[in-house]
Amino acid sequence: MSEAIDKNSKKNAILFALLLSVICSFLITIAASGLKEFQTANMELDKKINILKAADLIGAKKPSKKKINELYDAHIKEVTVDARGKIIKIQTAKSLNLYFYTADDMIKGYILPINTRGLWGKIQGYLAFENDGQTVSGFSVFSHSETPGLGGEIESAWFQKNFKGKKILNSHNKFVSIKIAKGKASNLPKDKQAHYVDGISGATLTGRYLSEGIKNTLVKYDAVSVTFRQKKLKARKVK
Amino acid sequence: MSKEKTNYIEILTKGIWTENPVAYQVLGICSALAVTVKMSTAIVMGIALTMVTAFSNLLISSLRKKIPSNIRIIAELAIISSLVIVTDQILKAFFYDISKQLSIFVGLIITNCIVLGRAEAFALANKPFESFLDGIGNGIGYSLILVIVAFIRELLGSGKFFGFNIIPQFIFDAGYQNMGLMVLAPGAFFIIGLLVWLKNSLPGISKEER
Repeated sequence: MSEAIDKNSKKNAILFALLLSVICSFLITIAASGLKEFQTANMELDKKINILKAADLIGAKKPSKKKINELYDAHIKEVTVDARGKIIKIQTAKSLNLYFYTADDMIKGYILPINTRGLWGKIQGYLAFENDGQTVSGFSVFSHSETPGLGGEIESAWFQKNFKGKKILNSHNKFVSIKIAKGKASNLPKDKQAHYVDGISGATLTGRYLSEGIKNTLVKYDAVSVTFRQKKLKARKVK
Repeated sequence: MSKEKTNYIEILTKGIWTENPVAYQVLGICSALAVTVKMSTAIVMGIALTMVTAFSNLLISSLRKKIPSNIRIIAELAIISSLVIVTDQILKAFFYDISKQLSIFVGLIITNCIVLGRAEAFALANKPFESFLDGIGNGIGYSLILVIVAFIRELLGSGKFFGFNIIPQFIFDAGYQNMGLMVLAPGAFFIIGLLVWLKNSLPGISKEER
């Protein structure tokens, strides 16, 4: 402070910095809050699309917004279960959220939310199972920060298609989860092929984190899968 | 009037070709490596960067007599980052799918040397409209290189053009394989290197000739 700096310019600098920050933050706030509505609408729709994609209700082609909402309301039901896989009404700290895929009031399958770390940030998506409690019926990703073209390929159709028909149980009915292979799954030994999906070249780490995340999710939701395997929920009607 | 016009055209061509930001100034290489695996992301990235460079140049140039020189860089960065955040928000609101694909790279425009480089080298010394044109020119120059690199990488790396398969199946059956190297960052390095060499060896308009 005591140094001999030109007072005028110092005052000017501070004033300018203040004014600039105020104007800039004002601009950003306007943009962020003004566009918030569109963004959340996009995100909600995107979530629905990915739940439907995981349940294999829509393909790679994007249907209209109305169609998506119709399909979603008709077939997807959000449920909360407790640690033992029983459906409960009130959410608790230990309760888990998942989705049922229903048709004609019957549960055709269930969809688990995947929430894991990736190489650069969180990966969020859905993994759908058939009502036998062990066969994967689909996989989708709605949010990630992986490198476009490399790890970012986890959101592409060819990668997600691989999950269909994979099993989380081996031939001795032991839990083995699903892993992302290094390279093509068809290069692996025969007994492993049912539990591995084709990897993405240049995205070994993304694959590793995603494998880990899927395994953790499956362990967490194990009770749900077990209930389905015991056929307790299969024919049950849902309201 | 006509003299002014030629001046404007010169500013544009300088940015687009003679002093191309990637091939001549060697700026913005990082994002050029990252978003050029596919054509669609390269084009949107090019447009986003062009917008940001143009408007940051415009704003900084109009403020050039008011910005205190000791906090010059901070002030420039504040303006640039605000513009980038606004661009990102707009993309998220209206081009959700593409903004998802570009993910972090829109945010990283802030650190793209082209934006700050043009602000420092041009906008601080020139009039607003000329600076705006300079931003547009450099943005287009950057996009041009990005699109060329993305075209080569997408074609050789995954056999596609804008996401459509264009290499027929019988060529694959005959033993052709996609070039894995092209999908990875080193592939882009090679292509950009070759482009720089090509540009500088073209007669008449290159650095050596002038």
